[in-house]
Amino acid sequence: MLARLLLLTLSLLPAVAAAQDSRLTERLDDATAASVQQVVDSARRTGLPTEPLVQKALEGSTLGASGERIVAAVEALHGQLGRARDALGSSASEAELTTAAGALRAGLPPTALRRLQSFRSGRPLVVPMAVLTDLVAEGVPPEQATQSVLDLAREGRPDDEFVALRRQVQVQRRGGTGKPAGRPALRPAADPPVDR
Amino acid sequence: MPAEHDDRIDDEVLRRVVAELRRPVRLDPAVDQRALAEIRAEAAGWPASPSGHRWGAWLAGGAIAAGLLLAVLPASGPEQPAIGGSPAVDASATAEGRPIYLRLEAPASSRVAVVGDFNDWDPAATPLRPSGDDRTWVVELRLKPGRYHYTFLIDGRRWARDPSEPAAAESDFGAPVSVLTVS
Repeated sequence: MLARLLLLTLSLLPAVAAAQDSRLTERLDDATAASVQQVVDSARRTGLPTEPLVQKALEGSTLGASGERIVAAVEALHGQLGRARDALGSSASEAELTTAAGALRAGLPPTALRRLQSFRSGRPLVVPMAVLTDLVAEGVPPEQATQSVLDLAREGRPDDEFVALRRQVQVQRRGGTGKPAGRPALRPAADPPVDR
Repeated sequence: MPAEHDDRIDDEVLRRVVAELRRPVRLDPAVDQRALAEIRAEAAGWPASPSGHRWGAWLAGGAIAAGLLLAVLPASGPEQPAIGGSPAVDASATAEGRPIYLRLEAPASSRVAVVGDFNDWDPAATPLRPSGDDRTWVVELRLKPGRYHYTFLIDGRRWARDPSEPAAAESDFGAPVSVLTVS
């Protein structure tokens, strides 16, 4: 009987350990840690990645944010990760979901992500989605940024060309020279996605 | 070869071998490609990890492979781009991730650290080192593919984002944060 009890206890230990992230309790006050842990647990139950949520809380802690602000940021990210999974499906990797969450937050529509995914046909989405997000952050209108990235994806271009597009836009926005020969360029927004 | 090895002796031999192999050697690009193809083919047949003390042959093979990889890697430096900043030779990516070089110009600073999603935002985890020109601080990270938020901490009191990478579109906590994509 004692042996069975011991085995049961040992079998439960990993579950208990997985449910509590010591980084949260060490870096946040009790109330904030508990609130963040609830969000993390909720994400785990629904199969969403939890590490980005923990990192968001740690970011807030290091940057001196209030507990209330930290919890709000973690909850917001949780929602964005859920929307990202809705857009990309449950087969998306953690890196893809995290990147997609950033894209959605930047104002890009889920349709754009889905179309990008369909054009990439199984190839990793992180770099194209990141470039799309960065272009919008650089001030490129979302429709034009989306069209340019989708065109590259449709043409089966490698990741390097997405990166080259981003760098070219950065240079142009900072007053540099024009498009280098042979490099991809921003394209007009011919067929913007409609839903958001 | 003795049947029993002393770890300290092995470590010393390894250190010398690796030090010798680390000396930069410039090879013709075609040679680089052939060497990498052979290394990949050989690697497919290697065991995950040598066990016990019977590792002389694996040690020698590993050291030679490491030396070849170091020799064929492009000259690394802070200029290496982060996003897609893939070195020209993919073999530089390891289980720990791809080498990423960050740098910040922070003249008249006494210490600089980077905090981000890759180090639990711990200001003590990843200090930068001065590059020798009294202005620039550098650090090499190993990152797996993904998107990372990060910022620099100068002298333990001032935040500065990386001007060479995009600013995070979102700023939840008011500090300047950059975003880095690793392919």
